[in-house]
Amino acid sequence: MMDIALYSLVDDMVSKAGTEGVVEYWLRVGESYAERMGKEAYVGWPAFNVAMKEGRTSLTIEGDVNVLTDLAIIDKDGDVIGYVYALRTCPMAPTMIRFIQKIGPIPDSDEDVADSYNNRIRDSAVSNYCITHQRFREVAANNITVAKQPLECLHLANKGRMGEVKMLQENLARINVDDRHIKSILRSASCVFALIVKGRTAGEEITE
Amino acid sequence: MAETITSNPFVDVSVFLFFEDISDKQGVEGFTNYIVGQAKSLARSVPEEEYDTWEDFTNAVVNGESVLSSFENIKQISSNGFVTNICPFSKAIREYIKRLGNFNPVHMEATDHYNHTIQPSAAHSACMMHQTYRNEVAKRIKIGGKPLQYAQIAAKAYTGKIALPPESWKKVLLEKAGISETQGFMEMRENSCLYVLYVQD
Repeated sequence: MMDIALYSLVDDMVSKAGTEGVVEYWLRVGESYAERMGKEAYVGWPAFNVAMKEGRTSLTIEGDVNVLTDLAIIDKDGDVIGYVYALRTCPMAPTMIRFIQKIGPIPDSDEDVADSYNNRIRDSAVSNYCITHQRFREVAANNITVAKQPLECLHLANKGRMGEVKMLQENLARINVDDRHIKSILRSASCVFALIVKGRTAGEEITE
Repeated sequence: MAETITSNPFVDVSVFLFFEDISDKQGVEGFTNYIVGQAKSLARSVPEEEYDTWEDFTNAVVNGESVLSSFENIKQISSNGFVTNICPFSKAIREYIKRLGNFNPVHMEATDHYNHTIQPSAAHSACMMHQTYRNEVAKRIKIGGKPLQYAQIAAKAYTGKIALPPESWKKVLLEKAGISETQGFMEMRENSCLYVLYVQD
């Protein structure tokens, strides 16, 4: 029931604080959620990826994540600096389905808040909840070290309830992954992101 | 039954944090106002219901077909006494404790504020949402043309603490529910919430 209340809470908040106010609230919630999860350290990428598969990291509290070990991100020297991950089911999906089933259509405020974020901050939200979810991942990643190096989360793409897709080309370019590849991953996932060593970039351009 | 698709606890916990953020900006009064306000607007969104008889209504409630039982499994224990076995917020509360640790004290401060300013019936901040929702939804249900009335008797928190009304109210409410005080306590051993549903004669 707590999750169902979210839609009426956002509706109420929009009428009092406006869509921009709700975006700010959500960003702060994502940050404080991640900060309160605490720090994590892994000896290397295999240990971290096993923890991701087994759902032991702060990042996997959002649900089952496919660890795409075939998509290792490497630097100029051929060293692995990160991987691509796919969240199978959006955490809001069960709530959306239940809200529609029990209450009715999703209120317009959901899209209004997402639009406010997309227009002012970053074009990556397909629902208002994406704002806090994506912020959570970004802050939580900074609290994780792999081989003593802090991580950075690059949001790559996500898919909405009606099939709409958001893709961040600048992040795809940073890890040298083709958007067609990400689209194929999105067929069986709701959200795709990369975790890389903070501040690093993949070494080479894609050659056709 | 009523709840067929379970929520993702990630979302549940973030809603608690949303209210904590509201309290940072607007104090416990803002927290209480928002939680009560959103429960009212949630209740206003649900479809209205009408039943010919009290039996039709209680059957719908117990079978999870009424909006009153959309989010919880309700059992009838007497003519007008009803219980909820598992608090619909218990999973979210458990997940919060599991993931983040102790509950932020602001939840109890807001609960106290609600108990002192609205009615003394909440055992946790989630009760404020739940009881307001029930109260508002009851207004949307008509039985034989009369609106349903709801009153909370007891609510049990995850700590085991039970919120009870003042003695004078309790006596009237138990009588209305058609149960004794001992029966009420027996029910609260097994259930999380005890309340009375009735229509005015």
